[in-house]
Amino acid sequence: MTSFAEVTLKLLEGFGTTCYIFILTLVLALPLGLIVAFGSMSRFKPLRYVVRTIVWIIRGTPLMLQLIVIFYGPGLLFGVTGFDRVPSVIVAFVINYACYFSEIYRGGIENIPRGQYEAGLVLGMTKVQIFFRITLLQVVKRILAPMSNEVITLVKDTSLARIISVVEIIKSAEAFMRQGLIWPLFYTGVFYLLFIGILTLLFRYAEKKTAYLKV
Amino acid sequence: MEYLRVEGFRKKFHQTEVLKGVGFTLQKGEILVIIGASGSGKTTLLRCLNFLETPDEGKVYLNGELFSDAAVRYSDRELRKKRLRFGLVFQNFNLFPNYDAKRNVSLACELLARERARAKKRELLAAEKGIARLKAYRRISAEAAAMKREGIAESHARADALLAQVGLQEKRDAFPYELSGGQQQRVAIARALALDPEVLCFDEPTSALDPELTGEVLKVIRGLKGRTMIVVTHEMAFAREVADRVIFMADGVIEEDGTSEEVFGAPKSEKLKAFLKRTEEHGWI
Repeated sequence: MTSFAEVTLKLLEGFGTTCYIFILTLVLALPLGLIVAFGSMSRFKPLRYVVRTIVWIIRGTPLMLQLIVIFYGPGLLFGVTGFDRVPSVIVAFVINYACYFSEIYRGGIENIPRGQYEAGLVLGMTKVQIFFRITLLQVVKRILAPMSNEVITLVKDTSLARIISVVEIIKSAEAFMRQGLIWPLFYTGVFYLLFIGILTLLFRYAEKKTAYLKV
Repeated sequence: MEYLRVEGFRKKFHQTEVLKGVGFTLQKGEILVIIGASGSGKTTLLRCLNFLETPDEGKVYLNGELFSDAAVRYSDRELRKKRLRFGLVFQNFNLFPNYDAKRNVSLACELLARERARAKKRELLAAEKGIARLKAYRRISAEAAAMKREGIAESHARADALLAQVGLQEKRDAFPYELSGGQQQRVAIARALALDPEVLCFDEPTSALDPELTGEVLKVIRGLKGRTMIVVTHEMAFAREVADRVIFMADGVIEEDGTSEEVFGAPKSEKLKAFLKRTEEHGWI
């Protein structure tokens, strides 16, 4: 009989991969999303259309499909193989989440009154200074709520990595199912709940910290 | 001596011609008040002067030199430099909501001080060659850092003085949302003064305020007499009192231009007479 401690250890191992995918995706997709957002707001039309088309494709197709395309695509199309599974997962997740984040950023940035931008210009500030000194913090405050949704979804989306055989927590639990044990699968829910509980607290803290900003 | 000369400003938005050849001159230290109905092009004129809009045609001379020409496309860097010589106070204040009153005033100065320190560091480093540059690096960095600190301290001191000037020194730590409209506009005036612009423009500075709050803002503007200023306003009594020169705009042209007495006391054109009569009926005078 497999003991509870044994299962916990095994699941923790999988959970490590889950956390790894989550953190790396977040760290890379947050800035990339900002770049995509600027692209989709660009005054240079061709760039804007290309970026918006990419966002449409990424948001319009299942992440699972994107994972498969990124992992198997290079091999099928160009005969290049030998990509590691986890990096493929990271690439697919980062692209996918950057597109979602970009739309949240865009909404946040476009809602900042233009007058503040003009006030900055008149005071001889550069566009970059205006963005980082004035706009950004207000954008952060405005997008905290939609961001928390997206980030929480990301935690659970990491379970899709198992379809290209990355052993994250669900995949670890499935290994026990083959031995006839179903409860480890339900047990994974506890890990997710705890993790998302912590994230929720962090977001609440961030909201409190920016509460002084009445924008 | 004529200090500011604006020549032949034209500006079209899509099909509508908002400015149809506007020009005027202004002496140093004079207050020019621009009056006129909504949509007559007053705001667009100020925005063109501050490079928030590019006029389709027109030239500006400042202090006897060609300052800007609509036919020339300026780089961002040049525009920035030019913008610093003009100031603009907006109708809706446009304070930065993420900073307190003092930082709103000091921010632009601080950023300039930082930039100056960085430029100085680059310049000093470029003067040294080879190994000497490495040796001097520490000393030059320290020098630049000291210069930056000094510049920032100066901008803070200046912000304090300016807030005192507009009567808000006790509100220096307040965020914009904690201030009344009149107080916000006074902070905005202090902010515009922080860079000591050569020409300070006001775009209907009291239009967004409750009537009981306009007085405090007008008082602050009155206290700036001696600066070269251009004020777009609907406050006729105020216009009459402070203006050295008055321009009446209608449909994108200057309909009448004269001293306060001439324009208000003896209006010549029918449009101006009708406009003054209308404002009187609305109780603005």
